[in-house]
Amino acid sequence: MSTPNEPQDPYAAGNQPGAGGQPPQYPGQPPQYGTPQYGAPQPPQYGAPQAPQYGAPQYDPGQYGGTPGYAPYGYPKNSLAVWSLVLGILGFVACGLFSAIPAIIVGGSAKRAVAAGQANNGGMATAGIILGWVATILSIIGLVLFFVIINSVGWDQFMDDIQSGDYTTTY
Amino acid sequence: MTTPPRTDAPARRAGARRPLQLGAAVAAATLVVALVDPHEQGRYGICPFLLVTGHPCAACGCLRATHDLAHGDVAGAWDMNPLWVLTVPVLVVAWVVWLVRAVRGAGPVAELLPRRVRAALPWVVAAVVLGFTVLRNVPALAPVLAP
Repeated sequence: MSTPNEPQDPYAAGNQPGAGGQPPQYPGQPPQYGTPQYGAPQPPQYGAPQAPQYGAPQYDPGQYGGTPGYAPYGYPKNSLAVWSLVLGILGFVACGLFSAIPAIIVGGSAKRAVAAGQANNGGMATAGIILGWVATILSIIGLVLFFVIINSVGWDQFMDDIQSGDYTTTY
Repeated sequence: MTTPPRTDAPARRAGARRPLQLGAAVAAATLVVALVDPHEQGRYGICPFLLVTGHPCAACGCLRATHDLAHGDVAGAWDMNPLWVLTVPVLVVAWVVWLVRAVRGAGPVAELLPRRVRAALPWVVAAVVLGFTVLRNVPALAPVLAP
């Protein structure tokens, strides 16, 4: 085993780099590909072994709910739940039912995608659906209250108030 | 959105049905907005966001902007809602691409975008909408961005 081509111990006495024509640059790295005398367990065909070859799935942020797109190979429909969450947030903050109802619908198809194994962010889909429902219900309640309050004052009065540009009158 | 099978002409016509239905609905809505002038206060009701907060949201003015665009008044539309004026051509192009691909039996339109763009898109939309809502209400920018 102690051939001059062994790169195990370049600093050992008597081990001259360049002996046998294979200077070891770094300990543990196969100096050249395809050397038959290289007795280490890693066949050099696997190339640069310093970086982990199985690094791609480890970087996969899919575990965090499928946000940005190193889109792992098995989850093409992760974006559905993200759309559901975004639409739910927008519906809650500003748009009300117009954005919240699509949030519920898209969240439903995201959940179906999770069940079919095409996505892994079911939690995010649930969040989008919940926000969507809450926003829808609040919007409906608001609409009902709006009509109740307007009825107490009269539509004409309300229209006058709006057209005067003063949105701060209270009833 | 399900992908229709690729070799079947009746199925491709079926695949074209959804973009055509959506296109017809949008065209009808645009016609209504073009005919019934939203510039008159109260024709379309009132936006709850504006009523409650007194501030325009990101969509404020888009009915008026659509009306102006339908009548060819791009400058007026820009005054009403610049974001909408920029978004409308994008949506129209996307619809045409969807229709063409559906007729040809190709895959969903989403495949045309690279994966990272597709994954980031909802967050970009949220940021743009919320950012525009905030910026419209900044007094310095309001004359440009708000209706």
